[in-house]
Amino acid sequence: MGSVSPDGAVSASQPLPPPTPSEGRVVRTTNYVQTAIALVPALVPAAIVVGIAVTLVLSTGFHNFGWGFFGPIFNSNANQFGMLVFIVGSFLTAVPALVLSMGIGLGIAIASTTYLPRWLTQFLDPFVDLLAGIPSVVYGIWAFVVIAPIFGLLINPWAVMHLSFLPGFASNRYSPTTAGTGLPISIFVLTLMALPITTLLIRDALRSIPKDLWESGLALGATRWEVMRRVGLRHSSRGIVSAAFLGFGRAIGETVAVAMVIGSVTKYPTNVYDVTWTMSSFMFQILDAAFGNSLYLSALAELALVLLVITLTVNIVGRRLVSHIYAEEVAGI
Amino acid sequence: MATVLSTPPRRLDPEDDLRRGATARLKWRTGFDRWVGYLLPLLFLIAIVPILDMIFYIAWQAVPTMSWTVVTSQADYQAYDALGVPIITSFYFISLATILSVALGIFGGIATAEFLPEWVAGWIRTSANLLAGMPSVIVGYFGYFAFVLYFGWGLSFIAGVFTLAFFMTPYVFRTADLAFSSIPRHIREAALGSGAKPAQYIVRVGTPIAFPQILTGVFLAMAIGVGETAPIVLTVTTNVLVPTGIFQPATYLTGLIWTGYAQNPGSTPYIIAFQAAFIIILVVVALNIVVRVIAARFRKRLEGLYQ
Amino acid sequence: MGVAIAVAIVLLIVGIAGGYFLGAGLNKSSSSTSKASLTETGSSLLYPLFTRWAANYSAATISAASTGSGTGQSDAELGLVNIGASDAYLANASATNLINTPVAISAQLIYYNLPGITAHLNLNGTILGMIYNGNITNWNDPLILAAQSPSVQTQLNGLSSETIHPIKRSDSSGDTFLFTSLCYMSWTAWPFGFSTSALTGDTIPTGATGNSGVVTALHTTTNSIGYVGISYEASANGDGLSYAAVGDNMSNSAVGGVLPANYILPSAQNISYDANLGLTHLEFNQYQLAVSLILGGSEAGAITLVKGGGGTNPSAQSPTPYPIVNLEYALIKTTPGGSTVTSANLAATVTFIQWAISIGNFATSGGGTPSAWIDQVGFIPLTPEVSGYVMQELATVQP
Repeated sequence: MGSVSPDGAVSASQPLPPPTPSEGRVVRTTNYVQTAIALVPALVPAAIVVGIAVTLVLSTGFHNFGWGFFGPIFNSNANQFGMLVFIVGSFLTAVPALVLSMGIGLGIAIASTTYLPRWLTQFLDPFVDLLAGIPSVVYGIWAFVVIAPIFGLLINPWAVMHLSFLPGFASNRYSPTTAGTGLPISIFVLTLMALPITTLLIRDALRSIPKDLWESGLALGATRWEVMRRVGLRHSSRGIVSAAFLGFGRAIGETVAVAMVIGSVTKYPTNVYDVTWTMSSFMFQILDAAFGNSLYLSALAELALVLLVITLTVNIVGRRLVSHIYAEEVAGI
Repeated sequence: MATVLSTPPRRLDPEDDLRRGATARLKWRTGFDRWVGYLLPLLFLIAIVPILDMIFYIAWQAVPTMSWTVVTSQADYQAYDALGVPIITSFYFISLATILSVALGIFGGIATAEFLPEWVAGWIRTSANLLAGMPSVIVGYFGYFAFVLYFGWGLSFIAGVFTLAFFMTPYVFRTADLAFSSIPRHIREAALGSGAKPAQYIVRVGTPIAFPQILTGVFLAMAIGVGETAPIVLTVTTNVLVPTGIFQPATYLTGLIWTGYAQNPGSTPYIIAFQAAFIIILVVVALNIVVRVIAARFRKRLEGLYQ
Repeated sequence: MGVAIAVAIVLLIVGIAGGYFLGAGLNKSSSSTSKASLTETGSSLLYPLFTRWAANYSAATISAASTGSGTGQSDAELGLVNIGASDAYLANASATNLINTPVAISAQLIYYNLPGITAHLNLNGTILGMIYNGNITNWNDPLILAAQSPSVQTQLNGLSSETIHPIKRSDSSGDTFLFTSLCYMSWTAWPFGFSTSALTGDTIPTGATGNSGVVTALHTTTNSIGYVGISYEASANGDGLSYAAVGDNMSNSAVGGVLPANYILPSAQNISYDANLGLTHLEFNQYQLAVSLILGGSEAGAITLVKGGGGTNPSAQSPTPYPIVNLEYALIKTTPGGSTVTSANLAATVTFIQWAISIGNFATSGGGTPSAWIDQVGFIPLTPEVSGYVMQELATVQP
């Protein structure tokens, strides 16, 4: 029996012999009509994506901001729209959050599939999945009211006291404040929000490891950890990588929750506790102010396009990467 | 001169050495494995403690002032004294958005899984993944510019429904695609080989098999849709009205939260915001439970297929 | 079995949705045929008052939303709502068939979190501007100390080199508009202008969402200072924060010059004196208003009540006015158009505004004190000149 990877493709255990040309012609007559009809509903997501892109392009009014759009200075009063600071802010929050949520998600998924008894995983897994369903506004309120003081009064001062030797962990005049808003808590919130996605996808990927593969590893005398590490992770690498990319998409796109704890200041962080602004939260909070100013609106629409392009690039690169890994696997290595 | 008695040089038995090192290594390996088994599950706490704290916090704010009359009453909804109207409006919202996204997603998913050549399907799956990973604020922008402005629907119920549906579609699409793709090949080949037309195969063979998975996908999409804030705030705003038509404004529970929490603590909109949050959490928990029940119910049926 | 469940669920969903479309209405007693249904959106500063009005106004169904002044202006321009609430006067309103009708007067307080200091500090627009721009960084800066009374000076000195953490609004907000107007008009070197998002490009103040967010941020950040709308006075006071007495700047000739002679605490009386002063400054000549304090640099008709600029001090009268005061505007269309601003809705809107500036502002809660609802949010009622202006504006509306 072949294995089922998370992406759905079924691979046979043994490759079929290639059909002879005459066989191919008889067996595979393509039904063009059928394919064309099938394309209509299948293209819906693509159509929506294109529609979004087109709408945003139209909304920019075709202003040419030039490469200055990626300049470092943002001053709406002077009509200077350098968006670099938001891009930096988005990546500074999303990348650590992704790393953390992948690490934690991997650990939880491995624990869930290999170490914990069935009844316990059935009890604990829903809690992780529940994280996905909480509205982000609730995350934001909870983080701002309950968690930010913990960061401001406990965690940040502790880090300043004990970790100042590390570059960037020393405090300066303006950060950390006792309010606790800024990069650390934003990364915390984003990790929590990306966690259910990464955990779910990695768990599915791990569950699709065929039992015979697993058992043969154990039969050879390897411990569970060793089988998982050397065989399981390799086998489910495709699912794990796709989990990373989806988690990154969630992290960089998260809007409302981050908006409440990021501090909302257009500055490049001077240390790890500093406040900054991300693309998505900026776009959400500032739209109201941009309404009277068509140049501002165009800039925001263009920022949305930039975010779209980043998400698209990450997705496509991920796909290429994953298919590259998958190709090795199919070839029987 | 005289031969000195000496013990013959110890011949190292390679077997011995291997076994000795092997035992030590085995002890270390099993010990490591055991400790990993103790420590990794602790990571669960990172997920469980926050979620419980969040739910507790919301419940602590919401439950003391909650009562059946507050939740169902439709009077005084403009003063935010009652949740009846927003709850009913949200229900219409989510059900219409679900219907729309299911309609858009299922056919596309099945079509991609069954009918399209692999290279096309790859790109379509990429676009579905892209849409799924789209930040909600971009979908909100799109909904505002496209539906509210260009289409001329204004700040309306229908603009919000479409925006929300577009947001939920890729999840249904992916689930349908995945469900049909993971039907084992031999079943598919058996059906087609017995002379079934593709449509017959899908309806009679594929759907019953893929059904639980698709259903869980629909409920998961609903759970995601229930919690969305940004698209709603941007397209529908947060006017609490009895919707008299689909082109009238309406509100959604998350919009209430967004508006209410920024008011004075202790004032009615503030309290209502937390009650709305509590209700949303209850709905999401219920949806998750339904998903689990379905998955468990049909797990036995599917188990034999894959293993 | 599973199919049965699914079918049942689908039927339920379709049934309910269908019922909706068949017009099985919710609130049968107030169906849309009997009275108009108006939508309002915009200023979050006006929002608490508007919800109270909406709940107590029976001639039409009004729903309010708190989305921000910019959205209020834009939605009113596009005809997406009946009433757009804005904290800032919309210049060139007639170009889009809008009129600015002031409906209430709000005020803003400056709160700070200084452990151990409960006295009301004396601050003025120049000092505030310098704090927010980073020119003043410590609480015991000489400029701040010079404005305080001696006892407060010793207290502040005890804070040695504590950094000031200014707090702003991260969402676009009328409170920011008000605060930056004060700074703009007090300090000639204020670089950020005045708008609902004027503090976006700067790098010192940290942001919080919403007035309640600012109050929370003030509460959790020691040595912080921030601006809060007067509706949130109770919760800020409850958190142990103190507010400042703000200098009137009317006796201040130029930046760095003579400090204000008067520092005024916010109170209903002081605020209303500012409103009176602000509007008697202007010439009501056929309702063309002379520009006293400029907004956006465009044509006549811009009104703001923030007392920032220098100039002659008409306050030979006492008491002196509290400076940070603002008119709240409701933007309405003058002619119907589109699906929301129908003829009937426009007429109902006019009726509502007339109610708002009369009963809405002056309804008593018994005991002779005016404005029950106004009181609840800490605003003050409109002055007679403003009411007269509004009535004249409303006369230009043709539903």
